[in-house]
Amino acid sequence: MSGASRTVPERLLVPALAVAALALTAASVGIGYAPLDLTAAITDAWAGRNTPEALVLLELRLPRAILGLLVGMSLGLAGAAMQGLLRNPLAEPGIVGISGAAALGAVLVFYFGTNLTQLTLPLGGIAGAALATIVLFALAGRGAGTTTLILAGVAINAFAGSATALALNLAPNPYAALEVVFWLMGSLADRSLAHVWLAAPLMAIGWLALLAAAPGLDALTLGEDTATSLGFRLSSLRLWVITGSALAVGTAVAVTGAIGFVGLVVPHLLRRLVGSRPGALLLPSAFGGGVMVLAADIAVRTSGIRPELKLGVVTSIVGAPFLFHLIWRLRRRMT
Amino acid sequence: MAVSAGFRAALAGAVLVPVALSAALAGAPDGRPARIVSLNLCTDELALRLADPDRLVSVTWLSQDPRNGNLAEAARRHRANHGLVEEILPLAPDLVVAGRYTTRHAVAMLKRAGIRVVEFDIPKDLTGVKAQIVDFAAAIGEPARGRALVAQMDAELARLALSDPRAAVPRAFVLRPNGFTPGRGSLVDDVLTAAGFDNLGASLDLGAYAQVPLERVVLERADALIVDTEPDGPPSLATAVLTHPILRALSPRPRLISIPSRLWTCAGPSVVAAIARLRSAAADLQKGGRP
Repeated sequence: MSGASRTVPERLLVPALAVAALALTAASVGIGYAPLDLTAAITDAWAGRNTPEALVLLELRLPRAILGLLVGMSLGLAGAAMQGLLRNPLAEPGIVGISGAAALGAVLVFYFGTNLTQLTLPLGGIAGAALATIVLFALAGRGAGTTTLILAGVAINAFAGSATALALNLAPNPYAALEVVFWLMGSLADRSLAHVWLAAPLMAIGWLALLAAAPGLDALTLGEDTATSLGFRLSSLRLWVITGSALAVGTAVAVTGAIGFVGLVVPHLLRRLVGSRPGALLLPSAFGGGVMVLAADIAVRTSGIRPELKLGVVTSIVGAPFLFHLIWRLRRRMT
Repeated sequence: MAVSAGFRAALAGAVLVPVALSAALAGAPDGRPARIVSLNLCTDELALRLADPDRLVSVTWLSQDPRNGNLAEAARRHRANHGLVEEILPLAPDLVVAGRYTTRHAVAMLKRAGIRVVEFDIPKDLTGVKAQIVDFAAAIGEPARGRALVAQMDAELARLALSDPRAAVPRAFVLRPNGFTPGRGSLVDDVLTAAGFDNLGASLDLGAYAQVPLERVVLERADALIVDTEPDGPPSLATAVLTHPILRALSPRPRLISIPSRLWTCAGPSVVAAIARLRSAAADLQKGGRP
């Protein structure tokens, strides 16, 4: 089912997905809530003139598009890496509770923080994500079955979700209690360039850590013992994936809320194109994640439903059937 | 379900009626309510301004926070309530004043217990604000104080400088948390017009209270953005829209004008202060001319 059905040559897959992601980024810049003369906006922005058109382009449209790309890449990449490490196609940051815990960390910092530095917001998300990943590995690490993994995810998700709701209810701002939807469903609305500068470097470090795990993940498909005999240390491989996922997912959730299912759908669709090598799946999944989040964000803005849908609504409607399909397949394999 | 509801009503009646009766018996000799309880931020302010302090038993906890209430200092001298029947009954009120849209369950139960409850709607314009003050004063048995307060508001409004009729009317957006903007048929719209602004939320026909995308706000080239929040409040995503970097990047035009929301959240006498601030801002803008 997997290795034989390679339809796209591998060396074309990554460039094709990268081009698609960049094209959608450009399309996202062209879409908005008010007619914008893009030529005038670009000319003004290039000449450094602070016209309303230039500002809408630079301060609203670009941050939204770039964040969509970066967050999608982070979620796709982290999903692919975790699935490789746990050797389970259901290991996805949202399903196993890492996104939810990151949202809790970000909420605690955002609503109660003492504004020490802007960096505390992503750091809160990263701390939440790291903590959840460590708990997940403690509960469902090495060789645990799908059931244990999913149950651990259910437990982490339930705790993080209710603790987030509790924190928002206790927050001093009266609007906070209504904002749980943003943190659990995610949105790119009205984000600013400041969020991009804040998130991009931390995400990039996370990506590098995850990509560095690629050879180890490939070796792991041969079994833990074989991987060890090939010279890969499992503990350091785990550390790379945990650190990378925490940085990428934690930062993404801190700036846009938790957007579900991206890390599940994208690797699932691309796996059959790269064969059963988790290492080779990483980069395609990153660009595929960017494509999915950007497409979802274009959909919420063009659907005409107001107030704007949260991104997680769209990604979950697309993603949940994939989850059903995966569970169905796993069930058949077990019986 | 019906049984348990009926049972609860009967139980509540059994407990409530004696309390209510004793309250009615203890009523003031001169016919004015002597134990007033207010269940709404806006009725709190009117009660604090118009009723004798010793006749006002309790106001909401909201009014005691200076971020919400204009008379927080005075409100703290009264017992706080959270709009719960269990808190209000032991206070044995002979008049409960409430908003039309808040604490609905408490209002229904208090009425069933035979307590006099007067509800106040949200006025849609300045005329309605003044009429409501007169009605409120009549309900608490202080009609003269109501008329005096309205006369004082009229005098303050008359003292405000008139805007220059020859200069162009500045166009303004009001931005509230979550990017909402009040449109036609809202008190804020009337306040803006009275202050000499053209409310873009109304002229763009976005509905009475609609979310306006930040892009639209920027590209509409408004002369002023009236940001309806305290600059130093606790953080939330709802208020983050009001401090988006693009609004600062746009300045000086549109000019950012901050009006604390407590001045016009309630359709009370404080809207005069909002009009005063806005009118001087409008005059400034007219002097500066349009680009």
